[in-house]
Amino acid sequence: MSILFNGRASGASDSAPGLLQKFMMGIVTHLRQAVSSLGELWRSPVWTMVTIAVLGVSMTLPATLHVLVKNLQQVSSNYDQSFEISLFLKNDVTETDIATLVTLLQGDRDVGKVRLIDKTAAMAEFKQESGFGEAITFLDQNPLPDVLLVTPSQSKPAAAEALLNKLQQERFVELAKLDISWLERLAAIMSLVQQVVYTIAALLLCGALLVIGNTIRLLIMDKKAEIEVMKLVGATDSFIQRPFLYTGIWLGVFGGFLAFLVIELMLFWLRGAIANVTQLYQSGFSLNVLTLQEFGILMLIAIGLGLVGSYLAVRSHIKAIEPC
Amino acid sequence: MLRFEQVSKSYPGGFVALDRVSFELQKGEMAFLTGHSGAGKSTMLKLISLIERPSTGRVVINGIDLSGIKPSQIPYVRRDIGMIFQDHRLLMNHTVFDNVALPLVIEGFTGRDMARRVHAALDQVGLLDKARCLPATLSGGEAQRVGIARAVVNKPPLLLADEPTGNLDPDLSKDIMRVFEAFNQAGVSVLVASHDLGLIARMRYRTMTLKSGKMINDGLMHDEETL
Repeated sequence: MSILFNGRASGASDSAPGLLQKFMMGIVTHLRQAVSSLGELWRSPVWTMVTIAVLGVSMTLPATLHVLVKNLQQVSSNYDQSFEISLFLKNDVTETDIATLVTLLQGDRDVGKVRLIDKTAAMAEFKQESGFGEAITFLDQNPLPDVLLVTPSQSKPAAAEALLNKLQQERFVELAKLDISWLERLAAIMSLVQQVVYTIAALLLCGALLVIGNTIRLLIMDKKAEIEVMKLVGATDSFIQRPFLYTGIWLGVFGGFLAFLVIELMLFWLRGAIANVTQLYQSGFSLNVLTLQEFGILMLIAIGLGLVGSYLAVRSHIKAIEPC
Repeated sequence: MLRFEQVSKSYPGGFVALDRVSFELQKGEMAFLTGHSGAGKSTMLKLISLIERPSTGRVVINGIDLSGIKPSQIPYVRRDIGMIFQDHRLLMNHTVFDNVALPLVIEGFTGRDMARRVHAALDQVGLLDKARCLPATLSGGEAQRVGIARAVVNKPPLLLADEPTGNLDPDLSKDIMRVFEAFNQAGVSVLVASHDLGLIARMRYRTMTLKSGKMINDGLMHDEETL
């Protein structure tokens, strides 16, 4: 396209025969700029490393917290499903009474599951777990009551409480107990932690954005003379800014990957310690690591940060440089 | 081809760089622009290449008024004008080939097509064997000729040169002027700003003389006393 000289063939696009060829040349130009901006980074390794490190660290912290929250949620969800009501039966109930009660409960629509722990079984378990051992054999009689563990059919706090009130009225029941307040507290704390994590993440990412913007600004200042020459020979702003945008993308790619590596290393390192703890608590907990999808999101965020950071720097600074 | 109509340029603070200058450069014409430093030569070239805009008057290229050119169109206008600078403005960390190829890369040329044009331009200035050198290894005259090759590589119809021989000895200056002459004979309009009066007088081309922003002489220059 020539503005001054009508019909003057100018530019490769005017001489290229087909749309496909234009498209291919566009791709070649983009690839060339992407590769050359990678080379630019290689030429100033210290600044590049520092920027990548800042981005990596800023991504690592929120991502780690995310993994932490995810694992805590997994732990608490194990408890969420067990709104178990413990029915401590009166001491004088007979086995037939218990059997009647169990059939009665199993017929109830609100009741999901009923499990009986009779006093002999409870005693045996207590003997084994409590550590009192043989001392217990000196007791005259078994002080433990029979217990029915009732799981509501709906695992919602309100449903469980309604069921609790109903079971309280049963004839053979001495005491009905449902402890859900700690679960509610746990859920509240979890959502608080989650919000704190997101706030910290947002702040850190803003910081990373500024650092990337500053790095790109320094690169632009460094190439001021070159940009002036390019403008003099007819380069458009978008042509000049493209390599810097690619630089931002590369910083994002490396920063995101660094964050991923750090998280994986940390989880690898923690795995032994966590295994010890879970063994002591006899829980089937296994550490959740980053899934492929989460890795993808991490990389996308990092690349997005690189692109936006460099765009902010490029937009204001490239226009400001004019040949004189 | 290139026409100035009563063009004035004053800078903030009241300094008048150009005062109602008018002239016309015909298609395929070669002319010199001379005068002391500060007389307004560079300002004139900057108005043509849209680095500056005139305060009053019109600059017209090929019938198109440059005042109607929007900032986003400036790059495309510059592609039609080959510019050569006193300090040649080469990219020092790129090879001679890359420097000359720059205008073509900007216009989207790739591969063999681009290489062919770059080699043709380097051949015209006699530097084909230096394509792989870095500008730092070239002499002043060679660097200036690389600058010329870059200006002509996309075959612009108009060539502007701002003191192209400013840093060169007389023999090299003559060589550079011969290169301009050759392009002019190929049909390119050439405007060279220079204060090398002896050289200009010997070349016997149209010469425009500026003095404190005013055009005081336009025509063949016969002796140096006109200034």
